[in-house]
Amino acid sequence: MNETTSSAANEGAVQPGVPGAGQGVKQPPRRTWLEIRESLPAWQWWVLGALPILGLLALWSLATAGGTPEERWISPTILPSPWEVLVSFPELWFDRALTRNLLVSFGRVATGFAVAVCIAFPVGVLMGSFTKIKAAFTPLSVFGAYLPIPALVPLTLSLFGTGEGQKVVFLALAFIIYLLPLTVAAVDSVDDVYLKTAYTLGARRWQAVRKVLLPVAWADIFQALRLGFGVGWSYILLVEMVDIGRGLGGIIIVSQRRGPREHIYLVLLLIVAVAFLTDKAWAALGRRLFPYREGK
Amino acid sequence: MTAEQRIGPTPLGKLVLVLFVLALVGGAAYYFRDVVMPSGKGAAKPVDIDAFKAQQGKFEAPDAKGITTVSEYTYVPAEKLPPVKGVSAYKWDPVAKVVQFPINVWIGWLPIVAANHGFSPSTESIFFKEYGFKVNLKLIDDPVVARDAFAAGESHILWGTLDMMVLFAPELMRDSRTAPRIFQQIDWSSGGDGVVVRGNIHSVKDLKGKTIVYAQNSPSQYFINNLLLNAGIQPSQVNHKYTATAFEAAAAFVSDKRIDACVSWAPDIYNIPEKVAGTRILTTTAEANKLIADVWAARADFAKDHPQVIKGLVAGIFKGMEQLKDPSFRAKAFQWMAEGYGMQADEVKAMEADAHSTNFAENKEFFLNANNPANFERTWKNITFVYRELGLIATPVRFDEVMDFSVLQQLDREGVFAHQRDEYRTTFAPISYAKVQAEAPILTQTIRINFYPNSANIFEPQHDELGNPIPNTLYDPSVAATLEKVARLAGQYERAVIAVVGHTDSSMKGRGVREQDVKALSLDRANAVKKALVSKYKFDPNKFIVEGKGWDVPADPDDPLNHALNRRVEIAVYPPEAR
Repeated sequence: MNETTSSAANEGAVQPGVPGAGQGVKQPPRRTWLEIRESLPAWQWWVLGALPILGLLALWSLATAGGTPEERWISPTILPSPWEVLVSFPELWFDRALTRNLLVSFGRVATGFAVAVCIAFPVGVLMGSFTKIKAAFTPLSVFGAYLPIPALVPLTLSLFGTGEGQKVVFLALAFIIYLLPLTVAAVDSVDDVYLKTAYTLGARRWQAVRKVLLPVAWADIFQALRLGFGVGWSYILLVEMVDIGRGLGGIIIVSQRRGPREHIYLVLLLIVAVAFLTDKAWAALGRRLFPYREGK
Repeated sequence: MTAEQRIGPTPLGKLVLVLFVLALVGGAAYYFRDVVMPSGKGAAKPVDIDAFKAQQGKFEAPDAKGITTVSEYTYVPAEKLPPVKGVSAYKWDPVAKVVQFPINVWIGWLPIVAANHGFSPSTESIFFKEYGFKVNLKLIDDPVVARDAFAAGESHILWGTLDMMVLFAPELMRDSRTAPRIFQQIDWSSGGDGVVVRGNIHSVKDLKGKTIVYAQNSPSQYFINNLLLNAGIQPSQVNHKYTATAFEAAAAFVSDKRIDACVSWAPDIYNIPEKVAGTRILTTTAEANKLIADVWAARADFAKDHPQVIKGLVAGIFKGMEQLKDPSFRAKAFQWMAEGYGMQADEVKAMEADAHSTNFAENKEFFLNANNPANFERTWKNITFVYRELGLIATPVRFDEVMDFSVLQQLDREGVFAHQRDEYRTTFAPISYAKVQAEAPILTQTIRINFYPNSANIFEPQHDELGNPIPNTLYDPSVAATLEKVARLAGQYERAVIAVVGHTDSSMKGRGVREQDVKALSLDRANAVKKALVSKYKFDPNKFIVEGKGWDVPADPDDPLNHALNRRVEIAVYPPEAR
């Protein structure tokens, strides 16, 4: 409030002068509605965040509005209306056992993630700490980053069969490819000052890794895990195409074939909601584990 | 610690409180488990195999005479097809006139590739020269993509097997403009689809309790579940594993020894037995040669706006079939197809035997002959039955809401293809039951016809207390439905030999009845079934081999005196090699 009044006052002071006279004078820049790095109250965050979503919803409603399917801009055989999607929820929940399928998919993502962490974490820390190990594994890691892994489905199929094993292995592969470079970067970014101090204090090699690199990098590694957990959901459709049965991917694949179309969009929304909630859980955990990172 | 800080429950108290709340939540979750975590429906519901029979007979009143001739539908398709409402919503350039026609990798499309002189729109094509429009054949192998392009109006045509259409139709018909209209059958799968099993499986019956892998929502699913139901096996008695494509099903079968069978396509079904020891082909559409029908469907709005284009497509494809009889033109067509698919011409030629193109006469049989045991209506109803019992479709679409034979009738009146004959009718040489038996049957089906005591007349009327027949009644009122079931199986397995084996009960055994008389009675009953099938559905009499077993073979060896179970007729489907 203060700023606004003062800027208004400044404007008043400048106005009587000759145009251009105020240019030499140091004064706070004019406040506009779009400021660089301004701090927003919470309600504005919510309102501004909701606007595009509501806009999208309005667009969706508009495109699918109309009494009969033939009057709509987009036919329900392609995109049902938001209302139709909403009312098909009970059917998805009860007839198609939504919660069970959700748990199955979540379990697969979580297991794949756990397996990936067991591999990516030690390898990543070693790569971040020891240059020779980094030199050895970096090309592979780069190779993996650019690999269109969907093409690997048939290979994992013949190596790991059609059961849960293949699904977990495939998801783990996707997670590793994502997590490894981030873990390496986290360890990499630990400031040399800490290492040097440790050496000055007489730390040995492993002590430097365990007591310096790892503790300092922890917060970044955690951040990588948080971002990485969402990756699994992008691949759930792919792994659940094999031995289609339980799982959200299965619901989508089957609905694409025999409908209802509504369930495709419902499951997509649901996956986003679940990913959002798990991200919030990660964030809450992060605040507890690394309170010193708060605000970063 | 001061006293003030100790206000509130002790740690133990907190623990108890937390446990109490958790127990409440858990109890509530358990109590409402069907709401919180419903198990879904259609999981492992037993199929009512008798409903199969009843459903199959529904479209006809019991036919006491049992003799009918070829009868054509008399209704006008437009009266049954759902009317198109609203403004047409497909992309169409009235100057260029290019029909967007997606196809998959399948030799059955050879006639249209031939008629179109390749995949791209061409002024050389039959379609342009004779009917003034062009066709753009696009390779869209993924049925979901093809369906979405069709629904979006990007393509005017949808490729598919009839069983795929049964699954697609309910959703597509939500919009009257995208309702599929089927005008023509392209081919019968004839060896293109098949079931490969490990060595310990000799007949469909052996699949009970085994694991099968196949592509869900594909012809494979219809093929195997129809087989199981016909052999009297509940689909829930088999462990089903699903893949997205038939190729993946074959790969899963090869890589996982715990899988006992797979349903897939050529060439995989022929390659696996050659390359993987201990595997063999159980059955293919070479025997079940009238089971999987390939068709194309047009968007209802497009068909309504452009009837001449539809007619041109149908006629042009028939002409393509005719031209393919010329070997040099056929070689050219293989080349065009190879270019379109990005394959080699000999790779395309190797697929030649997978399908049988259905010409005009065969299309007439399929669409118009109401008595054909493997016609559109019966095929559609059979698929609908199988899929509904599996819980895959809720409200099925009627066959006459998608089938449109108006173009075929027009062409028939014009007599353009009057010279074409049904080339897909197997002729059978007489053969003995003993010889047929040398080979294991693909499947055995037990049917029960309630015969009047000592009578071999399957259309025997009921009798009053004095034993006088009551007119216009049937001793077994469901006999027409039972015959229909057998006829459909025999129709689907058009190329196979069918053994009809009669059995009697042993209630009179040791009571002065001669064994040869009982055998004669059971043979007469088997013959009665054969005669009824041949006269009603116009089967080749030599397709059926009859045998009377008398009371020799009880239905259940552990329960040989179950007379009701023993009075039966068994239908066994034998591979054509036995001929």
